[in-house]
Amino acid sequence: MTSSRKSLKYKKRIIVKIGTSSLSYQNGRLNFQRIEKFAYILSTLRRKGIQVTLVSSGAIGVGAGRLGMSEKPDDLAKKQALAAIGQAELIKIYQKFFSDHNQIVAQVLLTKDVINNPVRHRNARSTLERLLEMEIIPIINENDTISTYEIEFGDNDTLSAIVAKLIQADLLIMLSDIDGLYPADPRLTDHVEIIHTVRKITPELEKLANGAGTSFSTGGMKTKLAAAKICNQENIDVVITNGSVPENIFGIMEGKEIGTHFLSNKINLIKNY
Amino acid sequence: MVDKQIRIVVRIEIATLCDKNGRLDRKKMDRLAMVLSSLHNSGKEILVVSSGAIALGSEKLMLETQPESLIEMQATAAIGQAELIRFYQNFFEEYNQIVAQVLLTSDITEYKDRENNARNTFNTLLEMNIIPIINENDPVSTTDIELDDNYPLALKVARIAQADIMIIKLDTNGKYLIIPKGTGKIIVAEDEHRLFEQIDEFVKVPDAKDSGEDFPVSLADISL
Repeated sequence: MTSSRKSLKYKKRIIVKIGTSSLSYQNGRLNFQRIEKFAYILSTLRRKGIQVTLVSSGAIGVGAGRLGMSEKPDDLAKKQALAAIGQAELIKIYQKFFSDHNQIVAQVLLTKDVINNPVRHRNARSTLERLLEMEIIPIINENDTISTYEIEFGDNDTLSAIVAKLIQADLLIMLSDIDGLYPADPRLTDHVEIIHTVRKITPELEKLANGAGTSFSTGGMKTKLAAAKICNQENIDVVITNGSVPENIFGIMEGKEIGTHFLSNKINLIKNY
Repeated sequence: MVDKQIRIVVRIEIATLCDKNGRLDRKKMDRLAMVLSSLHNSGKEILVVSSGAIALGSEKLMLETQPESLIEMQATAAIGQAELIRFYQNFFEEYNQIVAQVLLTSDITEYKDRENNARNTFNTLLEMNIIPIINENDPVSTTDIELDDNYPLALKVARIAQADIMIIKLDTNGKYLIIPKGTGKIIVAEDEHRLFEQIDEFVKVPDAKDSGEDFPVSLADISL
């Protein structure tokens, strides 16, 4: 176990960001079995004394499923309408699975002005602080119905970083559809090994994630790297891992070398001594 | 005469759905879901503005009394809103009616793009035959949480959605107040039967709508 990984064993306030791909099957329908696992894992961490906040996407997909639509619509108003239907469904599903573990959850929907409106910033932070104190797991999403979807936050990767910063979390775990960051697209290239540790997000790395000329960016690496950068500057560690294996979250919290670990600047400073 | 599409905002206070002990009364909730689903099936567009997040959050946390500090109220509301929307979904589901959740902050009308987004969302949901369930987004709200009165929010929604009628649930039974826009009239429906009749009456009156006048700013001014 590397010393940087070992430090993750002592994280007390974590954010877990789950994207649509981790919640659903390829056909877009919800993967209840997996959601059940997430509920079990996050409830267990909560019981161990770790403060857990969940940032979850999936409202639009769930809304489309509710209406029996096979494809997500392109136009904004439709997306916002589906989000309004789907968010209600999604939070109901989370409530159900978390209640199996006696874990109370809360729903917090944010808009971008949580960053630049000082009153809203303070209110959102104090609400979240209070919920964590009460041993509740807040489930956060963008308030899609009034914010201009995919324009305000860009995506929930960014939202998760903003939330991590807002409540001064010490670790953000972002679940992706690939195992972590690779020097080349593992689906196109043989024998590429995952990058387990990133000490500094360099321009070269960012270029890699932008996937110039490859479909490498499909894992959402670009926005994930941007989110990691925000967090690292705020002394928040970030791990990107594969959401199809929910148990990875346990492994990461045990200090195992799973996924890609982006070290916060604070650790780097200590290292440099 | 071809009936124009009538758009109705229904204002619900959670107290009108509770039993004597202040707990959500499933029979009353079921009744409301039935009445509104039926009204919707008759061709009306329905938007519901409902309070109850703090009450249900307190119930979930088994609090003896409702919280008093703003932070406590906001945290409780975050828990309770999830409960509230679940109840609405489950009860409307019985009548095959899909609902959606829309949370607004009271300053929405100060941001034109947000107001437009909300209006577009309402229009799209209504077109899709869905009933939006609207509440204040308490956890991030900048103003004091309006514990006792969600009429101001209902009024905002009525204006944003350009509703024709507001319906106020008055008590734990079937008594409603009907406020048609721009008529200066306020009608008390003693029971659900009268509610349907009165709304149909309104629809039949030519030029009943759009005379330019708005809804009353406050319910306090209304003498019943």
